[in-house]
Amino acid sequence: MARIVYVGKGCTGCKTCSVACAYAHDRAFSVKAGRIWVVKEEPLTDVPVTCYQCVRPPCKDVCPVGAIRRVDDLVVVNESICIGCGACVEACPFGAMTLHPSRGLAIKCDLCGGKEPQCVKVCPAKVLKLQVPAVVAQEKRARK
Amino acid sequence: MGQVLRVDLTKEKSAVEQLPHELVLNYLGGTGFAARILFNELKPGMDPLSPENRLIFATGPLTGTLWTTAGRWAAFAKSPLTGIWGESHSGGFFGPELKYAGYDMLVLHGRAKRPVYLWVDDGTVEILPAKGLWGRNTAETTNLIREQHGDREIEVASIGQAGERFVRFACIMNDYQDTLGRVGLGAVMGSKNLKAVAVRGSQAVKVADDDKFMELVEDAHERVLKQPQAQQMTKYGTPLLVAYKSKIGELPTRNHQTGVFANSDKLDADTIRAKYYAKTRSCFACRIMCKKVNRIPEGKYKGTISGGPEYESIYSLGTNCGVDDFGAVLRANQLCNLYGLDSISAGCVIAWLMECYERGLVTRKQCDGLNLKWGNHDAMMALIEKIAMREGIGDLLAKGSYYAAKSLGKGADLVMHVKKLEISGQDGRTHRSVALTHAISVRGADHLRSLVTVDQLGYEDTAAKRYGKDKLPEICDPYTEKYKAMVVKDAEDTFAIRDSLIVCWYSCGWPPIFWMPDFAAVASAATGIKEFGRLKEMYRIAQRICNLRRAFNVRERLDKRHDSLPKRFTHEPMPDGPGKGQVANLELMLREYYELRGWNRRGIPTKRTLTELGLLDVVRELKRLGRMR
Repeated sequence: MARIVYVGKGCTGCKTCSVACAYAHDRAFSVKAGRIWVVKEEPLTDVPVTCYQCVRPPCKDVCPVGAIRRVDDLVVVNESICIGCGACVEACPFGAMTLHPSRGLAIKCDLCGGKEPQCVKVCPAKVLKLQVPAVVAQEKRARK
Repeated sequence: MGQVLRVDLTKEKSAVEQLPHELVLNYLGGTGFAARILFNELKPGMDPLSPENRLIFATGPLTGTLWTTAGRWAAFAKSPLTGIWGESHSGGFFGPELKYAGYDMLVLHGRAKRPVYLWVDDGTVEILPAKGLWGRNTAETTNLIREQHGDREIEVASIGQAGERFVRFACIMNDYQDTLGRVGLGAVMGSKNLKAVAVRGSQAVKVADDDKFMELVEDAHERVLKQPQAQQMTKYGTPLLVAYKSKIGELPTRNHQTGVFANSDKLDADTIRAKYYAKTRSCFACRIMCKKVNRIPEGKYKGTISGGPEYESIYSLGTNCGVDDFGAVLRANQLCNLYGLDSISAGCVIAWLMECYERGLVTRKQCDGLNLKWGNHDAMMALIEKIAMREGIGDLLAKGSYYAAKSLGKGADLVMHVKKLEISGQDGRTHRSVALTHAISVRGADHLRSLVTVDQLGYEDTAAKRYGKDKLPEICDPYTEKYKAMVVKDAEDTFAIRDSLIVCWYSCGWPPIFWMPDFAAVASAATGIKEFGRLKEMYRIAQRICNLRRAFNVRERLDKRHDSLPKRFTHEPMPDGPGKGQVANLELMLREYYELRGWNRRGIPTKRTLTELGLLDVVRELKRLGRMR
């Protein structure tokens, strides 16, 4: 059950992750069509946010047409079913769901198929990882 | 994409134009586009603060993509500080946002009847009242606009109090710490009653040849990662230069009197990293990540937390004013950003006044009772505020140091400027190529339209690769004029392309990672225009841009007489340090440079040169004005 994890400090807020994500999915550069974003606050905060691939995903629960499913530990949107109502956007506690800025349908992190998520690959500060929660916990314990 | 948004603030109207293909082919983007537009649309001799001045916000063909260091933008207008070509570049996130809103360029003219801000939301363009914004600093303005539209990710470029009051070196700020610093474009914005431009873009940027482009993106990333100086930049940022320049005796000190600053270690990168470093930030999609946020833990400026300062501000507000307190430099830099002042010019006008004061040319009373002895940072803070608000002596300094000296009737010899622009943090005495760079740069005493580092920092391998082994060792010797005209011209051409694409200086000048061949390859892949892939064509475009910008200045009655340096550089030998005894010899380099450029002895592009570059209209215009026979 791997997901994209922000490994502690060090995000510089450059948004390379968003743009690479959008490009991986649409072959066009954009921040808003990304499925990972950076929350920026003055003067010292930059935090990347994306889907946690929840076990009980609120987005899936509220989808009125059943477009969102869990497949092999991954929460996925079937765009051919999605009607673009945005109920999932409201339901996600993290802001990790959004509607595609031009298509208007729900988009979310799909781990780029699971092998090599682009955001992890390109992050200049190397602060994103594809990790399972057990390892996240291990590393947290080791750090304490 | 491929669109230009025109806004007439007088008539409160906007229109969208398609980018003419011919403009793209001949001028590439950014500074190239702006050169054509400003030359076509501005009348020579016009007042830069009049409604007729154009204020151009431009991106380039790489803006908004993943090519590293290309998340930038630039603004252009006739400069109210210098009265000539005005250009200023910035990092941050505003440029990509403008591109995502669908525009390669925004061209503003006219003057709003009351203070306004421009709201560009993809295809929706509105001129809105700046009520509640006028009188605010740049950070407050950004926050208020974001609140007003209920979107925290809107990008805002704004002026502060300085721009509202037409301070001649007022800057335009975006993303709190990113600055279109030089030549007073903030005053142009102020003269248009335009407090801010706010942009939200939801579109995507596409490139012509995806596979090739992404290959180049990855290659560029790899090369940044492998470059040792780039790694140093990631760790320390531009303050790295403080130690380098201290070592070679070129850390301009006390209004450029010397290149040796006794306490430079209090301001160098190691000290900053150890005592003040708080966080690394980055411009849009950049691998270098040179931006640092610093925090002052103790002393008078305890609690100050701010992005920067870059090397240039450490020089201008630190060593050049004799200030060795890093807290004071950080705070002064922050004040410049908030009020919207160019920190280089601000520091330099203050340094000039300090020298006048120390030499008894001005009295304490004339300086509003401030004790302007070297290093008095309390007085420096007071002056920054006075300049921004145009109060007391600040009103004099707000004119820029050239006109301040004229008004005062004293201290003209002490003004460190070229073409009325205060000198950036280099010294032509100990770095000969920069003597030429400062003298010929299109916007005045500039280090960003051309700057040779192979001599200053001794990059022998880079010099051999770019110019041939046979040019060593002279080409890397900072104390000889040999080959310097050639390298200054080559850097100027390369930077003209860099500023058209628009790419960061910290990828090609220093550290020396990318150069013309890289720009040609990526421009071609991004646009699909094959001609851009040919090195020869790229140099032709670069020369066209350089000549057109020069012609803009020639039209304003500039010539060789203005390609000069302050007497201090040419007649006062460097008093101490490794470069002791050195002076700048400009004449020989100038002559060589003009020859290489195809300009006559008066520094005016010849008919032949302009004709070869397809600039027949420029020939006609210069003839009409009697600038060419």
